[in-house]
Amino acid sequence: MKIKFKALASLAVISITTLLLGSCTADADSSGLEYMPDMYRSPAIEPYVDYGEVRGRENKDMKMKISALVPPMGTVPYFGTDSTTVNLMLPYFRKANVAFRETHGLYGDNLSIKDEYALAIADKNPIKLTADNVELVFKQGKELYTAMCQHCHSEKGDGNGPMVLSGAYVGVPNYVDRAALSDGQMFYSIYYGKNAMGSHSSQLNKKEIWTLVHYVRKFQNAEYGKFDASGAAVVALQTSDTLVKK
Amino acid sequence: MFRKFRNWCFSALTIVFVAGTTTTYAQGDALFKAKCASCHQPHKNGTGPKLFQVRQKWSDGGAKEGSIYQWVNNWQTAAASDPYAQTVSTWSPTAMSAFPELKKEEINSIMDWVDSQPEPGAAAADGSTPADGMTPVDGETEDSSTSWIWIILGVIFITIILAIGGVRRQLKFVSDENAGKDSSDNLTYSEELKAWAWKYKTYVGISALVVVISLIVTLFLGLYSIGVVEEYQPSQPIAFPHAIHAGINGIDCKYCHNSVTKSKSAGLPTVNICMNCHKQVIGRTPAQQEQIAKIYDAAGWDPAGAGKYTGKTNPIIWNKVHVLPDHVYFNHSQHVVVGGIDCKQCHGDMTKMVETAKVQTTAELNKVEGNVPLTKPTMTMGWCIECHGVKEISTGAITDTKKDGYYAEIHKRLLNNDKTLYGKYLQDGKVTVSELGGWECAKCHY
Repeated sequence: MKIKFKALASLAVISITTLLLGSCTADADSSGLEYMPDMYRSPAIEPYVDYGEVRGRENKDMKMKISALVPPMGTVPYFGTDSTTVNLMLPYFRKANVAFRETHGLYGDNLSIKDEYALAIADKNPIKLTADNVELVFKQGKELYTAMCQHCHSEKGDGNGPMVLSGAYVGVPNYVDRAALSDGQMFYSIYYGKNAMGSHSSQLNKKEIWTLVHYVRKFQNAEYGKFDASGAAVVALQTSDTLVKK
Repeated sequence: MFRKFRNWCFSALTIVFVAGTTTTYAQGDALFKAKCASCHQPHKNGTGPKLFQVRQKWSDGGAKEGSIYQWVNNWQTAAASDPYAQTVSTWSPTAMSAFPELKKEEINSIMDWVDSQPEPGAAAADGSTPADGMTPVDGETEDSSTSWIWIILGVIFITIILAIGGVRRQLKFVSDENAGKDSSDNLTYSEELKAWAWKYKTYVGISALVVVISLIVTLFLGLYSIGVVEEYQPSQPIAFPHAIHAGINGIDCKYCHNSVTKSKSAGLPTVNICMNCHKQVIGRTPAQQEQIAKIYDAAGWDPAGAGKYTGKTNPIIWNKVHVLPDHVYFNHSQHVVVGGIDCKQCHGDMTKMVETAKVQTTAELNKVEGNVPLTKPTMTMGWCIECHGVKEISTGAITDTKKDGYYAEIHKRLLNNDKTLYGKYLQDGKVTVSELGGWECAKCHY
């Protein structure tokens, strides 16, 4: 009787140990051993870290309940103290049409019942092209275009980007067919979206969009942004010295 | 003779007929893509309604003969003359552009092309392979199940060994009793073991040494693995394949991770960025459609019917993959904009990453073309320091003195203030990050 009990006891000890060891198998959502876990999930909040569960201790108030968000409406990032830059970066004064709520999901925005796209025809590009800055503007434009537009609109601007060629997306227009658009309308379309294109205001700031408008014009007319010997633009520019204000 | 001639005539006619239909087909395809596709799709409502069998729909709806062509040329004149066209004009607040240049045959060729397009769901249902490498993502792993098999096997073996041992002891006990021996001086397990160990002390000693050494080695390896997060791949709410987005469709990293040039954090895309494409891209396989439906749920997009945002949004909670402890400062914009480092140096070739994101191992990163080869594990301090020691500051900054920016300024100051130091830096032909203070503690720890 005594021996039987001993055998059972040792069997129990061994099976519990194996089970304990077995529970050490890696949890996919754990990044492994850390020196100082509170340094990885510290009181100083880092973006996208879920503070709801730290080393098995659950804190329901800290649990992540929201995903990445667009900046609150009307907020302006700090762009230094240069008044020209700050003026350029102030919130866009044109509003999207109320229909954009359902078509483009602009639920948080202040919307207008007027057709402000039609009004935007008069808006001028505040980034003035000169013989000195044209190279820099186009260089910045190319960088932005490569990152933001190229996958649909293509490197040549003909609307046959890799997304269209792969068959994933259809209906990207050729810029040449949209040469009648004014700078202001082009800006409006990038900012709030147009037809199938979504709003890009969360990805690009106003200076970047105006730079892109200059760059896109070059697809429509190769002479755009070229200056003759007297410093006059070969193609008429739709730029303005005075900033568009409310 | 006549028969031959007749046959020839027939074949010639067939060729002409086939060629004729394919040209109108190609013309319709080209015209649709150039004029219509930015708002209309064959089988899905977008900015404009779906166009599949739209002529049939109009005549069924009681539209006047030919008013559909008038509509395409200028919808306002059609709406003024035809009551059916008037009802169509209320479909969406977005007015259709006028296409006065399109002739009736051209409009017909567009409609013929649209009517010949198969329903996208039907292609997936009949088992045809999805094009463009749009393979469904298989998120199943079998690691955990295999380890359980080993544990169960181990338990079974130990049970068998113990059972045999127990039987042997019982038999011995019985035989001792039969032989009339006193069972009280029967040895216990541990006494028996001690006696056995003493008997074979050389072998026991050597194996004990081996066991102790391997335990120490395991302990140290375990300690070295602390803080090493290579291969870390947390589960994600949506099985996002970078290979399809960045690879096949050629979307730049900065399109979605757009704060990478402006901020410390590279940024996760907000759901409106997903919807910039997924408003139209619904997925080709049921597996893809299931994943994309999660985006629609998060964005509050109702893909059924006309396709509308409902305003009822839900969060997508991604699990952070690359986590640095709080005592380390890392800034993406410094590395990407000033340093001009490509994303793949630290994140590997994401254009081939079919699964969700993970921390790449150094071995994988070294395979990527153009990367600085490193030896220390990814995301450790050794790894950072190693790269700072060998990586030269952005190319051209040394020779191109006209270049403006951060490094050109440093170049200017070195040239004006301390030429000997600059010469020392340039002994190996390059100025590395560490030579400009990249190994200073306070660069990253403050």
